[in-house]
Amino acid sequence: MRALRNIKAVAMNTYREAVREKLLYTLLMFAGLMIASSIVLVKIHLGYDERIYYDVGLAAIALFGSLIAIFVGINLVYREINSKTIYTMLAKPMRRWEFLIGKYLGLVGLLALEIVLMSALFLAVVWFQKGTFPAELLYAIVLIFVELVLLTAIAIFFSSFTTPYLAGMFTVSLWIIGHLLADIREFGNLPDSEAIRPLTEALYWGLPNLDRLDIKGLAADGIPITLKDLWMNIAYGLSYASLLLFSATQLFRVRDFR
Amino acid sequence: MAIIRTEGLSKVFRTGFTMKKVEAVKGVDLKVDAGEIYGFIGPNGAGKTSTIKMLTGLILPTAGEAWIQDIPVSDPKCRAHLGFLPEGTFFHEYLTGREFLDFHGQLLGIDKATRQKRAGELLERVGIPHAGDMRIRSYSKGMRQRVGLAQALIADPEVVILDEPMSGLDPLGRKDVRDLILSLRDEGKTVFFSSHILGDAEVICDQVAIIVNGNIVHQGYIDDLLGQEVSGVELVLEGIDAPLFEELKVGATRAITQGPRFLLEFEDEASAQRVLERTLEAKGHVRSLVPRRRSLEDLFVEEAKKGNYA
Ligand SMILES: Nc1ncnc2c1ncn2[C@@H]1O[C@H](COP(=O)(O)OP(=O)(O)OP(=O)(O)O)[C@@H](O)[C@H]1O
Ligand SMILES: [Mg+2]
Repeated sequence: MRALRNIKAVAMNTYREAVREKLLYTLLMFAGLMIASSIVLVKIHLGYDERIYYDVGLAAIALFGSLIAIFVGINLVYREINSKTIYTMLAKPMRRWEFLIGKYLGLVGLLALEIVLMSALFLAVVWFQKGTFPAELLYAIVLIFVELVLLTAIAIFFSSFTTPYLAGMFTVSLWIIGHLLADIREFGNLPDSEAIRPLTEALYWGLPNLDRLDIKGLAADGIPITLKDLWMNIAYGLSYASLLLFSATQLFRVRDFR
Repeated sequence: MAIIRTEGLSKVFRTGFTMKKVEAVKGVDLKVDAGEIYGFIGPNGAGKTSTIKMLTGLILPTAGEAWIQDIPVSDPKCRAHLGFLPEGTFFHEYLTGREFLDFHGQLLGIDKATRQKRAGELLERVGIPHAGDMRIRSYSKGMRQRVGLAQALIADPEVVILDEPMSGLDPLGRKDVRDLILSLRDEGKTVFFSSHILGDAEVICDQVAIIVNGNIVHQGYIDDLLGQEVSGVELVLEGIDAPLFEELKVGATRAITQGPRFLLEFEDEASAQRVLERTLEAKGHVRSLVPRRRSLEDLFVEEAKKGNYA
């Protein structure tokens, strides 16, 4: 009860900061511009090709969301420490994990809003062209959101014990590698790669596999996606994020604020 | 009952690439009684803020323990009835004063109606009723200090910890804060505040602890520390003539003529008494008579001479 109340208060304040500091509007404006311009560009160069159309729209949503998740995420906690605003917040009957989860959920809420608005714009354009849109597009968008939830957790995890600069480097690295894990594994499975296979397998199973959450290609190609697969992937993303958040709260618990 | 208690509280910071040790707080034992104003006095870098951060759960002690209302500081429950003003600036600049108070009230589990009521009352009490709906970004330093104090009081706490509550304020502001602290004691609250300004403490504190270099060098009631003994008497006289002044100034440690006014200082009360009687006989006026006690300032200087400052 008390935990929920504190988490909600911190999350709402995080949201309010984004609104007040004009972050939210700036982001939404950029997002809108990005989708609109990518669609216009595709249209000019390639005419109306459904596949590319979907690809570019989804990629724009994912890329933009990821950049926010990472770069707002790594500064989220740091800002509160650097400006000392964390002092009066933690000198309350509030546990440190409640603060951390509140910050996290505040950003996740912001990302949700962002995704909803960007997707609405994208789907509206598709609808306008086709009179309908495939369910796979929605699935892809849901998984993009799960990816952002996971990315934010990665960013918070690193920023719970290091500087925004390092946290940013680590998070961006994991973001890139996370999308290449299937390729890395395949590479390890080549006959010549026997020696490094344990490493590639360890990476594949250990690191957050963002590829699993990326069905943009499939969705664009109209390849059907089973609901079971969808749920499995959602469960994967959320479990991994929970694990990272748990670790982050443990690291945060013993930290000095000075 | 001790409201705030520490035993052997210590903090070692490790800084820089070489992880050099800095012993900021060295085995501090404090005992702050309920309903008192307790001054935590020491020069810059003495370890005041470090101690306060351990009390408020912001840094973890390297050794030792601390309790607030008999609950260990590692337990967030000890902060349910605690108000805290950190040192310097610590504001969500994008909030208005009222929103800032409301947010902190939420974290203390106060219901909305009470929060709003108390925010209004507190803005009034700290003297910025007009600034409630302005963003803190546009506040002056003094207004920030005031809204920070209001923040510390939003839950009507039983214990208030203030780190340098008077720093950066003009004389009027300092007086306001002093009056606020005194009124908190009148309401039965316990106030623990740090300062490096002795005058502030001397006027309002019941007890003080003097910390130098991470060590408590004195602790106790002001009167006990300074002693009741009068170390001198200063007199300002008017309406006496020069020959009389020459007679009176025999044995004075200081004798100054300022136009029609004469200032005399004596080490003992008997001499002062004699001068007083002679002045009245001669139909002169006594403008002021101030017994001089040992001050915290003197105590500080003594400690400095003993080499307690490194
Ligand atoms: N984060 C830190 N890392 C390393 N050393 C620190 C840190 N914080 C404080 N110190 C050191 O600990 C000692 C005590 O500092 P502290 O801030 O507690 O003093 P203070 O009494 O509050 O001083 P002031 O009156 O200047 O506020 C100082 O020597 C300081 O350099
Ligand atoms: Mg200090």
